Amino acid sequence: MSDRQPTDHKLLPTNEPLRISVRRLRWFRAAFEKFAAEIGAEIGCNFCIDDEKLAATFVSWLRAVERQKPSDKSARKDYFEFAAGLMLREFTGNLPLQALSVPTIAAPDSAAAFWPEGYVCTLFCLTVHAAATEQEFKDRPDLASAFDDLRHWWSFRENIREDNRFSIGFLQLLLGHQPDWSMPDVFRARLNKEISNIEPQSGSPARKD
Amino acid sequence: MLTPASQSHGILKLREALRGMRHVLRISGNSINDTLSSDVLPSPAADLASIALRKSNRLAKRVDSAASRLGKKALGVTNQTIPSLQSFAGQKDGGLAFSVSFYAGTQTVLKQLNAEGMFVSELNACKAFKQADMPEDADAAAAAKLIIDLHEANVLTGLAYGPARIPQSLIEPVTLFAVVLWLQSNRSETEDEAALSAAIDISIAISVDIGKAFLSRDQTALAALFSEFIRHV
Repeated sequence: MSDRQPTDHKLLPTNEPLRISVRRLRWFRAAFEKFAAEIGAEIGCNFCIDDEKLAATFVSWLRAVERQKPSDKSARKDYFEFAAGLMLREFTGNLPLQALSVPTIAAPDSAAAFWPEGYVCTLFCLTVHAAATEQEFKDRPDLASAFDDLRHWWSFRENIREDNRFSIGFLQLLLGHQPDWSMPDVFRARLNKEISNIEPQSGSPARKD
Repeated sequence: MLTPASQSHGILKLREALRGMRHVLRISGNSINDTLSSDVLPSPAADLASIALRKSNRLAKRVDSAASRLGKKALGVTNQTIPSLQSFAGQKDGGLAFSVSFYAGTQTVLKQLNAEGMFVSELNACKAFKQADMPEDADAAAAAKLIIDLHEANVLTGLAYGPARIPQSLIEPVTLFAVVLWLQSNRSETEDEAALSAAIDISIAISVDIGKAFLSRDQTALAALFSEFIRHV
């Protein structure tokens, strides 16, 4: 387990359940701005946010979340984690955050110094996920030791240049879960359900539901 | 004796006339500036151009202040803190209340799109709202019909001055969509400005979808876009 936990950071207050607020652009934007400013102060780095790219990140994320939303309520908790991974995928795809300086306070061998923008976006997704999970399921997800291992961050940055879906697997890895690297952007519960629907019918003609 | 409603309509018409005059003066001022620049013209013509420009600017400022004095006059409509489509629909003379909010919202959208210079007709917006005959429980379908009615009423005319954030052909559909999306959003008074800004950025992000639906006057597609994003402003 990492020494750092996503619940170390406080998100922008809201009167609504977080799962609702995070899907309102006005809250999402204000929360991300506040978060980036706080982490920036902590690591000694100034950031600039491109509002248009941030809105594009938000819209693509909303659409991606709606597309795979499971009807099965028992998959809800897993889907929260998957949705956080989708959010990171959209952040790394649109790159709405830009560091204006090199972090002056962060340790040279830390993820924050290595890739400040990726570090802030990842931590934001993890923090939103942790807060929503705590609120909805009374559970606090911990960060795995992978979070402190610079090799994972290096691999993350390298791999998303070729395939942005890697972000989803990376976030699952940081939460201590084994990602499905072959299809990281397909929600596993849905995939499992589809596989189990196919298996009993092997050898017989496909039946439409 | 004039009723408060007819007085309000009278003020609306007068304000529109002044804004129209201001619009023409601004456009001519810009044209003089762009085409008859004093540093490229020979001496007597340059002097005349400078005088014309100064006079045009002075006149525009006077019309500006007259229009804003009228803008502050009570229009005889309920003072809404949170303007919404539903409340306008259920209000006597809701067209007037709608047109005031529509004008203010549209000016903000055009500014954020960097598309200033277009003329916004509050009078035509009022007519379009009445024409749309909004039900009190105005839903996404009614909102979609409204933006087509607003377009047909020519509420936005002219061209943007400079290079806007989106292509010229998308300015009208995106502006109308953003304003009507904002007017449907659930928000508090303190969140009003942030909600309008969010409605604008969402509309820019889905501008291609809006443009496609708008161009084919596809109200079902526009209603689907409203339904998709109303809760996310």
